Amino acid sequence: MREVNALVLENKQIAEEVYSLTFSTEEKVPVRCGQFCMIGVGQRPLRRPIAICKAEGERITVCYRLKGEGTRSLARDYKAGERVSVLLPLGNGFYVKDGEKRVAVVGGGVGIFPLVSAIREYGKTKEIAAYIGFRNKNAVCMEYEMRKNATLTIATDDGSVGYHGTAVEAFEKDFDSFRPDVVLACGPTPMLRALKEAVKGKGIPVYVSLEERMGCGIGACLVCVCERTNGAHARVCKDGPVFEINEVDIR
Amino acid sequence: MADLRVSLCGVELKNPVIPASGTFGFGREFDEIYDISCLGGVATKGLTPELRLGNPVPRIAESRGVILNAVGLQNPGVESFIKNDLEWLKSKTRVVANVAGKTLEDYKNICARLDGLVDFIELNISCPNVKCGGMAFGIQPESVEEVTNAAKSALKKTPLIVKLSPNVESIANNARAAERGGADCLSLVNTFTGMAIDIERRKPIIANNTGGVSGAGIKPIAVRMVYEAAHAVEIPVIGMGGITCAEDAIEFLMAGAVAVQVGTQNFTDTLACPRIIEGLNAWCDLHGVKKISELTGALRLN
Repeated sequence: MREVNALVLENKQIAEEVYSLTFSTEEKVPVRCGQFCMIGVGQRPLRRPIAICKAEGERITVCYRLKGEGTRSLARDYKAGERVSVLLPLGNGFYVKDGEKRVAVVGGGVGIFPLVSAIREYGKTKEIAAYIGFRNKNAVCMEYEMRKNATLTIATDDGSVGYHGTAVEAFEKDFDSFRPDVVLACGPTPMLRALKEAVKGKGIPVYVSLEERMGCGIGACLVCVCERTNGAHARVCKDGPVFEINEVDIR
Repeated sequence: MADLRVSLCGVELKNPVIPASGTFGFGREFDEIYDISCLGGVATKGLTPELRLGNPVPRIAESRGVILNAVGLQNPGVESFIKNDLEWLKSKTRVVANVAGKTLEDYKNICARLDGLVDFIELNISCPNVKCGGMAFGIQPESVEEVTNAAKSALKKTPLIVKLSPNVESIANNARAAERGGADCLSLVNTFTGMAIDIERRKPIIANNTGGVSGAGIKPIAVRMVYEAAHAVEIPVIGMGGITCAEDAIEFLMAGAVAVQVGTQNFTDTLACPRIIEGLNAWCDLHGVKKISELTGALRLN
């Protein structure tokens, strides 16, 4: 975990309202799949927590959706050659055990980006089936990245491409033929809730990456908590963002 | 190299920079990024007699130049702090234990429990985010005096800092009330109560609806209040509110503060405190200031 004044290499639109930012940390930073970084944007007091999509030594790529003033400024004001302050790597990340050979990946919205890093990390050693939901054809991105290392099923809300329905429905339909040993997931809360329902009684671990508004990003301020099923609070930034789905309350 | 040491209630700090309560946990996470023994002290996360889970999320929002938070005093309870964190934190730097309670008894008990174990106790009577966070005590001068007196009666060894709320009619009156109640030192300002609205959802962003406003945008108000408080009492004052750099910290010192606390900037810049310490040293050298304590109250009004 360190703060770096990173050099922006590329910052480009890759889908409707979605940008991909690649920066160089100028020294190798070890990053696990599913970890994230906090990016400082202009004079804004809060850094933005953004999942790491790809990490190759000192070259790090993150993807983000234009959501508010901060992400709009990040897209507009940070061209190649600019400097950007980044705190990384943060959080626990995804771990797939040696014995878990078949991995299902379920994602939607900006939740797909930490999953892309997991597909890259485990694609060579595991059999991966990815079920990725998009609003429509124009929202589809990272397709090539995922197809390289996984059998990809795209699901769209309007059926404009791929499976007409949700990522969780596509996952359920395939479940008996693929028989995953473990599921990795990230996406909007309704998707995670549907997934929790879908895997009930299946007896396989499901690791979900959660999103929350953050303060410090390193576990000190207790802003980004989620509730554990035992009633205690966990810090999304430090104890997570990845939790076993039955370990936390998904709301 | 200027002499950055300051003396607060007879306790020496190696420099006047203390991360503010609630932004720094008990210091362990920041210590993974830099050695926190460089700090003048650490103000702990607000401690209560028992564990508290705090408010629902979202607990934070941003507005121009400021943030709002409503964490609601989540903390593991004072016993957990004493057992798991105190010794470690003491080995690093001065410990300012921030404490809160619901009743006068709570304040008395938690002070008695920590007396002699920490370097300072900072009485939180100004948390705007919980009904029982002491805010009820922090508004009227009469109750400020009463709670200060109760806390002080439980303390034999550790100096008492009273952290003042800015959401009051007269900061000078409340400063004097804390002094009458037996405070050894004041710290101010805590956050200003505010609201930020998500206009698409027509709802406040923070689950608690309102939150405490902090960050660079509040600094001029905070400096004015520190000036007024410092000139109303004889006891030393710790200034805070929107400090982002050494120059900001110097404003508070000149307004009358002996030391400063840095809060929100720890989120913006994880290395804010060590950078401010370095900046203070550089500023003093550049301006021929040999001892930073010379700057306290150095303001000359127009």
